[in-house]
Amino acid sequence: MPQQTQLYIVASQHPRVGKTLVSRLLLDFFRLSGRPLVGYDLDPREPTLAGYFPNLAWPVDIAETPGQMALFDRLIADNWRTTVIDLGYGLFEQFFAVMAEIGFEKEARRQLIEPIVLFITDSAPTTARSYAELQRRLPQTTFVPVHNEAASFMFMHRDFPPTRPEFGFIRIPRLSPVVRGVIDRPGFSFGAYMAKQPGGPTEVHTWIGNIFAEFRNLELQLLLGQVQSSLGGGRTTTARKMR
Amino acid sequence: MAKPTLILVGADKGGVGKTTVARTLLDYFTAHHVPTRAFDSESPKGTLKRFHPDASDVVDATSVADQMRIIDTLSTTDSTVTVVDVRAGLLSPTLRALRDIGFLDAVKKGQITFIVFHILGSSIASLNEIEETAPFTADAKYFLVKNFINNTNFFEWDQATHTSYFKKLKDAVVLTIPKLNEMAYEQVELASVPFLTFVANKNPKGEPANYSFVLRGYVRHWLGNVWAEYDRVKLLDIFDTTSAAGPRAQAASSRS
Repeated sequence: MPQQTQLYIVASQHPRVGKTLVSRLLLDFFRLSGRPLVGYDLDPREPTLAGYFPNLAWPVDIAETPGQMALFDRLIADNWRTTVIDLGYGLFEQFFAVMAEIGFEKEARRQLIEPIVLFITDSAPTTARSYAELQRRLPQTTFVPVHNEAASFMFMHRDFPPTRPEFGFIRIPRLSPVVRGVIDRPGFSFGAYMAKQPGGPTEVHTWIGNIFAEFRNLELQLLLGQVQSSLGGGRTTTARKMR
Repeated sequence: MAKPTLILVGADKGGVGKTTVARTLLDYFTAHHVPTRAFDSESPKGTLKRFHPDASDVVDATSVADQMRIIDTLSTTDSTVTVVDVRAGLLSPTLRALRDIGFLDAVKKGQITFIVFHILGSSIASLNEIEETAPFTADAKYFLVKNFINNTNFFEWDQATHTSYFKKLKDAVVLTIPKLNEMAYEQVELASVPFLTFVANKNPKGEPANYSFVLRGYVRHWLGNVWAEYDRVKLLDIFDTTSAAGPRAQAASSRS
């Protein structure tokens, strides 16, 4: 079975729900495994992610065609490295509109790229609707909801079904306000922080550890999904396409 | 065999994207395996010929020699469809010439299928052209094409004028060509290939090219929308009289 590469799109229609935080965690998680990796910061006004990863994450403005070419042409060519996109809320609509119009999903499949939308949920009724709408528009894309406890109190399971039930959702636990400042420091690296635990694990260690465990679990589920679909079983998007 | 078909693509005004429409038609027929030949009237340096090198040059569809080249060969050529890209300003004179040589009578008798694509610009002058051409297109399948390819602003017609003009043409069918992303359009221009070839990422020689995936995607999407318009008006059914089977079924069988 040929190995697929993952393209993670961290998305939300709302500001300040933790998109960049999740993108940072993902990039650090993958960096620990030493695999080929690249990140894109799609918030032209405030390229925070690019600031944290100066040689790994690049700001791109997809409002105009040249920026769209810079991003999507690269994504298709980059089928050898894991990609993380921090999709700023201002470009949410445009990103997915372009993705649908240029037939990105189909070409991605051909290049063995698996697009995964990590959708940051909140309790606004419109959010659940736009999640469902997006799933309909991108039938070959994997959707996994993310619940950031610091940004929204409740998570309604039935409002945010993942593409496969076993994906569940990714939980970002709430961090005490006191230590929150630690992870927001410029240049803070989750990976480097995990590497040194002089006085035993702190709250931040446990917190990062839990989230990385969720990522690891998702990776495993994605891999299982690939195996199942290559065997012709499972309710995967690939199986749906072949029917 | 299907009846010979002549398609005129014209406008009385330049710069309305006439050749672009002719190109989408040629691509459409290629995709449906309809044998097609094309004549380009932008002599000596034909725009259509640049994208479709197989197209022949024509100096002037109102000249007798060129009429012979097109009309007299309609039933002898292997091509079912003949597409003529009529030079700007020559649509009405061409129609008049076709009447004078008895071509329109042959159409009336059902010997030839005649289709006119009248490309409209975004100004009121375009509507006056409709009045001019109307007397000649009674037996033709007449399409009015609103071409948005290279401008975003909506047509500057007020609804009353619009309605009064379109009422005069009870059989006219209105087609809409949507806008294409400018960079995508420009890249196809630079590549000098048919839209289909661009989408397939090939150069004029049919070798693999390196066009932007994004731009190819935009062209594919746009061409799909244009063809959906041709499908909607059942363009292939107009000249396909060979059997009751759908044009696509035939296209598929004629390929084997």
